[in-house]
Parts: sequence; structure tokens; C-alpha cells
Amino acid sequence: MRTLFLGIGLITTLLCSMSYAHGQKATERYIPIGQSPGISNKYTYIGVIEAIDPQQRTVTAAGHTVQITDETRIWLDRSLQKLSNQKGSFDDLQKGRKVEIKYTDTTQPQVAQWVKVQVTAP
Amino acid sequence: MSNRTHCTWRVISPGLGLLTLLLLVSSCQPVAPTDPQEALIAKGRDIFFNETFNGNGRTCGSCHREENNFTIDPAFIATLPPNDPLFVAEFNPELKENFENPRLMREFGLILENQDGFDDLANNFNMRGVPHVLAQRTSIESPQGPRTGWSGDGAPGDGTLRSFATGAVIQHFTKTLNRVAGVDFRLPTEEELDALEAFQLSLGRQQELQLPLPLKGTVARRGQELFLDDTLGKCNICHSNAGANAVIGGQNRGNANFNTGVEALPDQPADLTGERVPPDDGLGTPGDGTFNTPPLVEAADTGPFFHNNAIETIEGAVGFYDGESFNNSPSGQAVGGIELDGTQIVAIAAFLRVINALENIRESIEFLEKSTKRKSAEAKQLLGRALNETDDSIQTLVAGGLHPQAVAHLRRARKLTKEAVHSWFSRVRLTEDAIREQQKARADMVEP
Repeated sequence: MRTLFLGIGLITTLLCSMSYAHGQKATERYIPIGQSPGISNKYTYIGVIEAIDPQQRTVTAAGHTVQITDETRIWLDRSLQKLSNQKGSFDDLQKGRKVEIKYTDTTQPQVAQWVKVQVTAP
Repeated sequence: MSNRTHCTWRVISPGLGLLTLLLLVSSCQPVAPTDPQEALIAKGRDIFFNETFNGNGRTCGSCHREENNFTIDPAFIATLPPNDPLFVAEFNPELKENFENPRLMREFGLILENQDGFDDLANNFNMRGVPHVLAQRTSIESPQGPRTGWSGDGAPGDGTLRSFATGAVIQHFTKTLNRVAGVDFRLPTEEELDALEAFQLSLGRQQELQLPLPLKGTVARRGQELFLDDTLGKCNICHSNAGANAVIGGQNRGNANFNTGVEALPDQPADLTGERVPPDDGLGTPGDGTFNTPPLVEAADTGPFFHNNAIETIEGAVGFYDGESFNNSPSGQAVGGIELDGTQIVAIAAFLRVINALENIRESIEFLEKSTKRKSAEAKQLLGRALNETDDSIQTLVAGGLHPQAVAHLRRARKLTKEAVHSWFSRVRLTEDAIREQQKARADMVEP
């Protein structure tokens, strides 16, 4: 019986110490809109921003409304200007700008894991 | 000689010469594979070793060297010329700061990674070793998705091996720290990613070992027992069949991440230099302190060990699990600690050396056999790969004082393979003799 409990304890502790796989978010920032391997157009929405709700912190693009949380990474895609991509903020989500939104689940509203905002020359 | 015969010879001789020349030339031409999968692998191989993606000159092969088990270590690095693209931070002014640490690269084989982001390049980075890319077919799948790189999150996009190259190009191939796609590098195309994935999956072992093996060596056999004993060595829990997958409670959990306390090791070589080496927090941003489980069959000849190249020898790597850093770690606590003595540590290391050498022999034979069916240029390339594997098996056994008889056979196999490389007419016969010596070496180490 003691061995059984020890075994269950070992399994539980080891499983708790196991971690889930994630894509590498750091280099994702430098991948231009639409070019994320295995992701773009499969698990992302690409389109122009149709609406923004700062109170609800949601953004609507390509007909989908997604939630922006503190965990959502926002990047400014400046590759068209041949400039380095930068970290952005909610304020950079502006109507009419092209975005790519990686969503994390299928609940409504969906939560954005990251958003790339295309920045063109002023 | 009659006039008629003389005339005939005058006609035949140039004809024969031309024919011989044509045969020689045609035998030197590599033949494109006809099987679509083989063609994809060949394309991936070409990209892996030759494609710079319009970047700073590095290729995937700059760090994952075929002649060095698809990794690099300080001894190998010391053989490279100063203008090798690996050292780009030493001669490209744009990459002088915050791209690599040349001292740590040359002294400990460490590469700079911005795993947690690129906003504070001077302070936010990790120094990591280069993992080999062998046996990935059996080593990266998990129920939670594929795990690549030292912390299991090395690939952008969908996190798969296929996507890995995209992240690697951005991190390691860039011409400047601006990292602008289309300026500092180009991103791999979908077709290139397919080919690179196929090539990497083709490397090394394609299936798991089935332990226990009927080993002949006394110490290695005891090492295997300790390895498989879930109350003593406990190695097989996370490295099932000496691979990279965890079997917990009888269930295969695939390739997993664990916090084994490597970061808590005192006197880590890179730290001793006084160079800035921030703590590595492993998977995620911020990290959870866990790192990915590598396969062990290929371990003995691919040191230094762990994500930070903290330990140089396989004996030291096994000994780590007997130390305080591991035993106080979450994983050490989970398995109830590991207590081994010196003889047991060496026995487990001997086991790992022997299974590594057996894998070297398996690969050598595969390359040698393949070479007998290929034309000259490709055959020579395959013989070269067999030579590398043979060198590894010899070195792995000699350094552990193991199987001197097998080593003698391997040395003969090496000599014959070298002769085969330079032989015009006896290549196949010499190769077949080399295969027989490899088989004798294997027979000295394990029952058939």
C-alpha cells in the first residue's frame, strides 16, 4: 500500500513538474505579417482593423472580435519600411491598420496571444 | 605486329581512352535521387549546409557540424579558421556587441540566445550549448506538442521542428541587430522548411532502443542494471530506453521538460570567467525553470553536457544526479533523490559509452553499405561520414577504458575505410572488409 501511495505521489509530482510546449515568442516579433510558419492563415486572422473598444479591450478584424489581455504581445511590423519591428501597445491598434492576430482559443470573445500591426510610412 | 593489327589498335586505343575517361567522369557525378522523400532529404541537406538566407554567412551547419555529430564543442571550435562564419561577431562590426560572446564561445562552446526577448540585448540573454540534431525522429514529440531546443520552445510559429529554422535565421543569421526580414536575412520559404525538416528527421537513430541489451562488458552491463533500476539509478524514468521520452506510471509521456537543478550548480565554468552570464529561466517568458530532456544514446560523444555546457565528461554528467543541485531540485525531490557511489556513476557512464559506440557502429555500417551502391563522389562522402562515426566509437570507448578488442577492430575498420576513400579499383572490396571489422567490434560488445 505504501509503495502504491509513493508511486502515485511520484507520478503526480513529476507530472506537475512537466511543462507544456510553446512556440518561441521572441523571434516571432521579427516575422512579417502572414509569414509565421504553420500559423499564418491557419490560426491567425489577417485583415484591417474594423473596430476597437478600449473599454472592453477588444479589437475586430477580418470579421472577428478578439480580446486583448495583459498577456497579449503587440508588435509593430515595420518590415515594409525596412525598419526593425518593435514592441507596441494597445494604442497602436488603430482602425484601418492591417493586423495579424494569433488567437489562443475558440471561446467568445477569443483571446489574442499576439497581434502584429503593420506600420507604413507616415 | 602486322600493319593491319597496328591500324586496328590505332583506332581502338583512343576509343578505349575516351570510354575510360567517360566512365571516370560519369562515376564522379552525383546522381540525383529518384525517390521523392530521398530527393527532399537531399534538398534539405543542401540547404542545411549551404544556404545562408542572405544573412551574415552562417548556415545551419555552422553550429551543427556534420563532422562533429551535428554540434560544436571547444576542441572542435579550436580547429576552425578565424574567418569561419561561426566567429562573425569577431569580424563583423555590426555584430560586435550583444550578438555573441566570443570568449564564452571559444572557451566553452556557448552560443547567445535571446530566448526571453530582444528589448534589452545587453542584459536579457542566455548562453547555451549547441544541441546535436540526431535522433529527432524519436525525441521531440509530446502530448503537449513538439519540443525543440534546450527549453523545448525553440521554434516560432507553430513550435514545430519545421518552423525551427525560421527562428534560427532571425536569431543567428542576421547581418545586423535590427533583424529586418528582407534586409538582414530572408526567411525560409515553405518548401525550404519542408526540406529542412525532412533532412533533420533523417539524421541518426530512427527508432528507440529496446533495453536491456545483452551486453558483454561487465561494468557496462552493471551500468545498464543501475540505469534501469527505478529505485537506484532512476535514469529510465525520464530517459526511457536511454532516449528522450519519459515513461511515468507505465505511461509514455513523450518528450518532457523538467527542472533538474542544473542552473543551481555551483562553479559553472562560464560563471567562473567573470563574464556576464544571466541565469537561464528555461521554458517560456518568464521561464518556469524547466529544460528539455535530450536523448542519451547519442550523449557520450556530444558533450559538454546540459543546456549551459556546465559539465565536460559523461561521468561528470551522471555524477550530477548524485549531487545537491539535482537532489534539491523539483525533479530530484519528485523521484525521492538519487544516491550513487563512484563505481556506480562510472558504471552508468560506461553503459552510456557502450550504447553510444554501438550506435556509431550501426551508423558506420549503414554509411559503408550505402557507399558500395553509390558512384564515386557520393560514395566518398558516405565513407567520410563512416570515418567520423568510427572515430567517435573509438574515442568513446578508449576514454572509458572499455572493450580494447572492439577498439582494435574499429581501428582496422578505420584504416580500411580510409584506404577505400583513396582507392580507384578496390573501393567496394575494402569497404566490405571494413564492414566486417565493424561487425566484429559490435560482436565484442553485445550478444547477437
